[in-house]
Amino acid sequence: MNESELKNLWQTSNDKFELSFAENRILTNELSNMKVYHFISSMKPIKIFTLLAGIIWVSLGAIIISNIFLHAYSEANKFFLYSAAIQILLTAIALIIYIFQLITIYRVDITEPVLRTQEKLAALKTSTLISARILFLQLPVWTTFYLNENMLENGSPVLLIIQGIVTLSFTIAAVWLFLNIRFENRDKKWFRLIFNGKEWTPLMRSMELLKLTEDYKLGK
Amino acid sequence: MIDQLNEKERTLQFQDLIERHKGILLKVARTYCRNETDREDLVQEISIQIWRSMGRYNSEYKISTWLYRISINTAISFYRKHSKRQENTFPLGENTPAYIVENTEKEIQLGLLDKFINELNDFDKALMLLYLEEKSHIEIAEITGITPSNVGTKIGRIKEKIKVRFSKLNKF
Repeated sequence: MNESELKNLWQTSNDKFELSFAENRILTNELSNMKVYHFISSMKPIKIFTLLAGIIWVSLGAIIISNIFLHAYSEANKFFLYSAAIQILLTAIALIIYIFQLITIYRVDITEPVLRTQEKLAALKTSTLISARILFLQLPVWTTFYLNENMLENGSPVLLIIQGIVTLSFTIAAVWLFLNIRFENRDKKWFRLIFNGKEWTPLMRSMELLKLTEDYKLGK
Repeated sequence: MIDQLNEKERTLQFQDLIERHKGILLKVARTYCRNETDREDLVQEISIQIWRSMGRYNSEYKISTWLYRISINTAISFYRKHSKRQENTFPLGENTPAYIVENTEKEIQLGLLDKFINELNDFDKALMLLYLEEKSHIEIAEITGITPSNVGTKIGRIKEKIKVRFSKLNKF
């Protein structure tokens, strides 16, 4: 098949396709919906729910923790207080960065050339990894919030050693993950295992696209 | 400039724009989606993005260049989060267009062309679409952001692949 035959083939199929497409219903009747289209409506319900849950968790946590710090510090279990404070603080930082990145992605100018726009979008989406990295830093505090002074003074030495090993392991894992969850490691087995769920698929695809834009820029 | 328009003028301008250039939206949707429902969703999403982008039109470029950029960008990125992306298979099923089911040689060729496009990566799909739409290398470069010489190289490779694919068909 030569070039002109191929283009004719494409044109013929397009004519048939356009005839069968219910474009009037789609292109004009939904205009009112377009006018109210905004940042929130561009997001999937599950993402909105997750963000809302995160905001509520951080807000309530911040109110409770700050109240304890201000009014009941001397009676409070310091292990719980500091563990919870670190958890809330890290979640808040990750949440703020994530929301900022979502807004930046939403504002990307899609009237620019395809390669430039896709590179920007893919890089921004890939950078949402920073939120995951920050959230992993909380790992050790989930092994300390239930401790108290009495346990340390009078607890079984064996249990305390096990506790120490667990906390140390979680700390090492948290720091290691924070340092190693990066675009460059996207093809590693452990990385794919962590980001295996359906909710991570867009992120993984963005990373593939980022690689593709790099290849295109290099003329590969 | 479009951004100077008031709401009513903007609406009229938008409707006129879509009416005159709906072919671009439909062709992009056809290139990136195999399933009819997905195609309708994508055309809807592209329309929303055109509406949102109306204040950003740069008269330095042709309106078709501007529309292709929005449509392809939407197809690649915004749409990918909603779509259950089809894998590189093209089964004949209830969503298969009627023209492919018919068993003439032309229909087989059409089916093969669609299957071939479906197997390309997102950027090659855009190049293939623009090539089939007979856009010049300069215009393709303006739409995609790839240099004109690179456009030529990439399209050359895609054409070679098509040639091989269709020559295999002719052997049967």
